[in-house]
Amino acid sequence: MPSRAASGLGAPRLARVRPGARGAPAAVDALAVDCVLEEWVVEDLWWTGRPLRRRYFECVLENGRNAVVFFDLVRRRWFEQRA
Amino acid sequence: MLAEPVALAPEAGREQVVGEVSAAAEAFGVTPGMRVGEALARCPELRLAPPDPEGVRALWREVLDRLEAVGAAVESDRPGCAFFEADGLRGIHGGHLEGVIAAARRVLGRGIRLGAGPSRFSSYAAARRARPRRAEIVGQGGVRAWLAPLPVSFLRARPELGVVADTLERLGIRTLGELSGLPAPAVAERFGHPGRLALDLARGRDTPLEPRRPAEPVLERLELPEAALGQQLERALELLIARVLARPERRGRSLRSAALSVRFVAGGTWRTRVTLRQASADAGLLATVLTPKLAELPAPADSITLEVEAFGPPAHDQARLVEERDSTRRVRLSEAVRQARQAVGDDAAMRVLEVDPDSRLPERRALLAPWTDA
Repeated sequence: MPSRAASGLGAPRLARVRPGARGAPAAVDALAVDCVLEEWVVEDLWWTGRPLRRRYFECVLENGRNAVVFFDLVRRRWFEQRA
Repeated sequence: MLAEPVALAPEAGREQVVGEVSAAAEAFGVTPGMRVGEALARCPELRLAPPDPEGVRALWREVLDRLEAVGAAVESDRPGCAFFEADGLRGIHGGHLEGVIAAARRVLGRGIRLGAGPSRFSSYAAARRARPRRAEIVGQGGVRAWLAPLPVSFLRARPELGVVADTLERLGIRTLGELSGLPAPAVAERFGHPGRLALDLARGRDTPLEPRRPAEPVLERLELPEAALGQQLERALELLIARVLARPERRGRSLRSAALSVRFVAGGTWRTRVTLRQASADAGLLATVLTPKLAELPAPADSITLEVEAFGPPAHDQARLVEERDSTRRVRLSEAVRQARQAVGDDAAMRVLEVDPDSRLPERRALLAPWTDA
């Protein structure tokens, strides 16, 4: 069996997020957000034709899981990512 | 007391705005949420009553317990306002909505306002319009028409819609009926997600209720012999952490969030909630996280309480009995990789290669590459 080539880790995947006050997530995958620990914005590749603009949130969910989600300000969709 | 101009003082360390106000204070133009300076300028005789978040919380918890005793699964984001599904309760309260309302009134007493509607928002609006002795009921079919004449300021019931309500008023959209007549794409374009939510509420739709989870109270309180502040309070907190961790109800679980509260010598209480980035049962870590909160206290305390708000997974705080040597572990790992590859192929073992560990984009930090030297 041929060995697989190197592949990226931590690629974002689509997430079901219900936004709450001021655009912060209120629920991720139907689990309520207990609190938002951190929030930051990443703007990158603005000099290319495919710029990245993401608003990240690190949250603690009601079941105790930590989740990092971001709202893609270009594609207008929510993603979850291991960060 | 309510005949005098009185307002609830701001909580220590929070925004300097007044809370609920008495009718006499309202007559001077003082409103809840007004900055303290402005409130005192409007009414120099205004008396600021110290807030008691601990007392309010305990009292409100009792109210919710009473509602749950009649079978209601209650949702409540803030003291003074609670919601529950009435449909499932009809069977045990006479088979009709009026029976459920009567049961709720029986356990809550007089002076409360009850409203019923097909959505959370419509029942909130109905309760605001209800008289103390008579519940307001909004029918399933006519909810949009019933909401239509109400002002858009009702949207402020949802804190995230405060800005939307302000903007709608400035744009001349005064009622929920005018809002519900606007095209959805235009509202979404102008206000984003909050706009869509406001539109849904105005049209009688709402998000599902999220009833509170059963409480599992684990708290430890320490009465302080004399007014304490600073280092003395820190020692008291360390003692409380040790006591909470020793409680049998913890059953080996870690702590995910905790609330710290104190009662001031001069009256009033203060409460703050801390959620840990990673659930832990380590006394040192809990002290590191909670101790800085004590610096926010504005006055000496005569009692301090630590309460567990949520537990995390079981704490893996058991030490290994025998430490393995590195070389032994490496040989075992190589053998495991070899066996796994024989069973499922070369992709069974991969290596994480750090490419740009400091990148702001997580997907650029590491790659998964084939394991080569096993």
